[in-house]
Amino acid sequence: MNITRHIDDDHVCTLTFDRAGSSANVFDRATLEELDAHLAVIEQQAILRGVLLVSAKDKIFIAGADLHEFVRSPDPDALAAIVDLGHRVFTRLQQLHVPSVAAIHGACLGGGCELALACDWRVASTGKPTRIGLPETQLGILPAWGGSVRLPALIGLPAALGMILPGRQLVGIQARKLGLVDELAHPEYLLATARAFLERGKRPRPAFRASHLPLARHLVATKARRDVLAKTRGHYPAPLKALEVCTASLGLPLTDALALEKAAFLELIRTPECRNLLSIFFLQERAKKLPAPAGSTARPVHRVAVIGAGVMGAGIAQWTSARGLPVTLKDVAPGALAHGLHTAATLYREATQRHLLTRAEATAGLDRITPVHTAVPLASIDLVIEAAIEKLDAKQAIFRDLEARVRPDTVLASNTSALSIDSLAHNLAHPERVIGLHFFNPVHRMQLVELVRGPRTSPDTVATALQFAKAIGKLPVVVNDSPGFLVNRILMPCLVEAVRLFREGHAPGFIDRLMLDFGMPMGPLRLADEVGIDVALHVARDLAHHLPHLAPLDDTLSRMLTQKWLGKKSGTGFYLHHSGASRTKPNPDIDLLRPAHPTPGNHRDVLLNRLVLIMVNEAARCLAEDVIASPEDADFGMILGTGWAPFRGGPLRYADSLGASTVVSRLDALARDVAPHFAPCDHLREMARNHRTFYAPPPPL
Amino acid sequence: MNASLYIVDGARTPFSKMGTDLAASDAVELGRAAATAVLARTGLDPALIDEVIFGCVGQPIDAVNISRVIALRAGVPAHVPAMTVHRNCASGFESLTTAADRIATGRGGIFLVGGTESMSHYPLLYSESAARKFTTLARAKTLPQKLAAFLRFRPADFSPRISLHLGLTDPVCGLNMGQTAELLARDWRLSRDAQDHFALRSHQRATSARARLAEEITPVYPASSHSPAAVTADNGVRETQTLEALEKLRPLFDKLGGTVTAGNASQVTDGAAALLVMSEAALKRTGLTPLGRLVDYAYAGCEPARMGLGPVHAIARAQQRTGLRLADAGLIELNEAFAAQVLACQAAARSSAFAREHLGLDHALGEIPDDILNVNGGAVALGHPVGASGTRLVLTALKELHRRKARRALVTLCIGGGQGGALWLETP
Repeated sequence: MNITRHIDDDHVCTLTFDRAGSSANVFDRATLEELDAHLAVIEQQAILRGVLLVSAKDKIFIAGADLHEFVRSPDPDALAAIVDLGHRVFTRLQQLHVPSVAAIHGACLGGGCELALACDWRVASTGKPTRIGLPETQLGILPAWGGSVRLPALIGLPAALGMILPGRQLVGIQARKLGLVDELAHPEYLLATARAFLERGKRPRPAFRASHLPLARHLVATKARRDVLAKTRGHYPAPLKALEVCTASLGLPLTDALALEKAAFLELIRTPECRNLLSIFFLQERAKKLPAPAGSTARPVHRVAVIGAGVMGAGIAQWTSARGLPVTLKDVAPGALAHGLHTAATLYREATQRHLLTRAEATAGLDRITPVHTAVPLASIDLVIEAAIEKLDAKQAIFRDLEARVRPDTVLASNTSALSIDSLAHNLAHPERVIGLHFFNPVHRMQLVELVRGPRTSPDTVATALQFAKAIGKLPVVVNDSPGFLVNRILMPCLVEAVRLFREGHAPGFIDRLMLDFGMPMGPLRLADEVGIDVALHVARDLAHHLPHLAPLDDTLSRMLTQKWLGKKSGTGFYLHHSGASRTKPNPDIDLLRPAHPTPGNHRDVLLNRLVLIMVNEAARCLAEDVIASPEDADFGMILGTGWAPFRGGPLRYADSLGASTVVSRLDALARDVAPHFAPCDHLREMARNHRTFYAPPPPL
Repeated sequence: MNASLYIVDGARTPFSKMGTDLAASDAVELGRAAATAVLARTGLDPALIDEVIFGCVGQPIDAVNISRVIALRAGVPAHVPAMTVHRNCASGFESLTTAADRIATGRGGIFLVGGTESMSHYPLLYSESAARKFTTLARAKTLPQKLAAFLRFRPADFSPRISLHLGLTDPVCGLNMGQTAELLARDWRLSRDAQDHFALRSHQRATSARARLAEEITPVYPASSHSPAAVTADNGVRETQTLEALEKLRPLFDKLGGTVTAGNASQVTDGAAALLVMSEAALKRTGLTPLGRLVDYAYAGCEPARMGLGPVHAIARAQQRTGLRLADAGLIELNEAFAAQVLACQAAARSSAFAREHLGLDHALGEIPDDILNVNGGAVALGHPVGASGTRLVLTALKELHRRKARRALVTLCIGGGQGGALWLETP
């Protein structure tokens, strides 16, 4: 049972979406059929004045289509049938003899938004959970229950493309501005406001739009296409397809327009890009529900202390305080705290500018951060996150000091990106409460948190940290304590290899473009500038020290350090960074760092393999060494932690797409021709021998 | 008193001259900084607080009941009530003595008290006639009406009345505070030279007390700042102050032989201070160690034009209640509103004529010895953020009692409008 029908004395019919046994409403085949049946009944009732569509859920109107169903029934006929069913039911709703109003409170996404678009009128609540959008392109598909057709017709092509192509979600007030909803109402008045719209009858035909004239339409589409290509470098077919459908369907008879939409959907859902994007979506869902260790108890976290007000400490404090938790931010001197608070205040200011927070909420958030530079009592702290300088003895001293001052059950976490969690717990009376909580920079953008379990870390500590990470809206991946953990371990070899390519004479811009073209959000040398040459060198050295199979480090980075080229923070690195300038320029003095007559060699493909397969090799090692439990962890971590080409599904999914034997033979060739450190790991060799894949092979489409 | 008030710990912001380091931080932000620091230093669960009581003289119009705003913004839960008190310059005292009364009558055991003042934020006001014209303009409906209302304005309507000046003028006797100090200087024949020497000593003592005062200071990180900023120290103290420089200043309040200058008066300053106070039972409950105990207190009224002698009246009243005499004090903090006013208090305290005529006592109160008076400097050097000064004096006195291993401190100040307040504190 998903929908209930109620007809009151005023002859107004209310359809209430209330999926049994779930906190969310979603559209699956059964729900569509149920809606169809209700509509059939409504059509028979001439006396009705109109139909209201509402949700009984707290935070969700309708969250979208049930994606599992797409994956469960991948045969093309079944998929075509479900698209047809959606088209038929929503069109039936649109063509009812009486007016219909969607009263939207909570998430109204994908299929939910398409349902609303099929109504005559839409009223949105001002409540926090209300978000409206068509995020399909983010999953590699396009809105295919009429959204690609009805949205441009309703709000005009330019605005519709602005929503559909990036999969953007709007709050009520933005939707009202675009004309996507007709009125806003407080949640308490939502129903009454929606009911009042019934008086207006069916929606009149849309007014003439100049932007839909052929020439204007062409210009809009050309510009949109250019923007999409600039952003996706052609790796993502879905936005382009959606653009095509939105533009071509304008002015067509409804059935023809919907047919275009359906054809495009069936084409997209078959692409590997879509498959990989869908699997990321499921991985995110998995991370949100990651279970705590069996038999463990998570202790509640009401108050957090962050040690160190640097970029990471301030970022963690800001994010945590924005999620409602009071944070004690500790550093050694007021000057450092001033920087940290300024960082947090800037993040809060940006959040208000982007309408994520009201000014009052931002003020309250910043107020929740208490700066301290003296040894204050820490008895009320449930979780400490240490984000101090990356020096083992300094961190050990901090942990020893903390242990003496916190409660016995307080969890002590470190945001270290490289140091062993177990070594941080050295000499503590209770090493079992030490854990790694590795956030990524910038904290407010990166959803991933590596939860690093040391050999002595207790299950309760893991459970507490896990619950905390979820509570503040981060997505955790659990890894075992080992050098570089997961993300840095896989990423650093690529970065070091990029530096080697640079030393061989390739221009930084060229190297970075290779990886951008592969689908990375940022090239490795640019990334080195962003994280800081000093930090990169520190992590690389640490990894090289612990993992002898890695390439030996040359002196490029350390020479940059002596030049005081620290990357973005000093203004100079592989590139020149000027505050205010939107684009970076190449560093003209960069050749100081390499021999006078560099000899760039290797074919483009070889270079790309050097950068990419080295990560595949390392990811395979992580799996073989039990750093992580499953290939999903590696792919999820790399995509969320580094933006690793999402449409390729992560390094191990990518390895599967090549086949283990191809990966091994390419790595062998690199080991022979370039350097021995490319030699494939035993795990990959064994997989190649036995023709195995990391993932179970997907069901055939 | 039947149930004592104990002071657990306190903190204050740096005191900054009006329009300088803390000019961008309003009274709420200053109060919040002090309150948060006290909570952090003591580690007290703010949910245990029974009430938050702050004093503020120039209460900001955008934070009426500023105490409540400070409480909520400092992380005190919504269920804890908050009230703002006002006894002009003794508002900081009043927050403490109100809590003492609450404890004595069994109405709560744990209080966060303090005072806050942003004199930089004292508003400029429209004159009443200008305000009336604005009202007429706002009510005008038609264009001709609006035009007519608009044309009634005159340039003079736009020259503001400065609320700081209004606040520092006694509406009953018509004198501003500086003029009341001039009156005391004439009454007690206090020379310009004596006042300047006193001011110099205040700066010298505050200079050598830098490290000691730092113990009570918590930094302020102005939120509206566009670059990272931490205000960590008082900025009114002039480490290189010379007598010659003081002598060059012109009298501010009286052209006819006046002696009170900007140099020998307290500075107009921004700042806040907060104290965590509780009953003996609450101390046991929380396991916290107190800095000191409030023995008793008294307020007394006096002639508004001679408000500077308020401390003498209050000390006498406190003596009646406690039996404690000036000689019992190991330390005295007497707020330096004006050098002349402190000197006048010293003279009045040692005058048996004054005691007989004004205090109803047979004998003089006694000596206020220089060597235990304001040993870490006073408002002439540190500044006088009116609502916060009372709290600051209590905090400074308690910390100094511990340093000197002395038993009792007398803390007193004069109050604009003709009052004085006096507190007796002792180490536990």
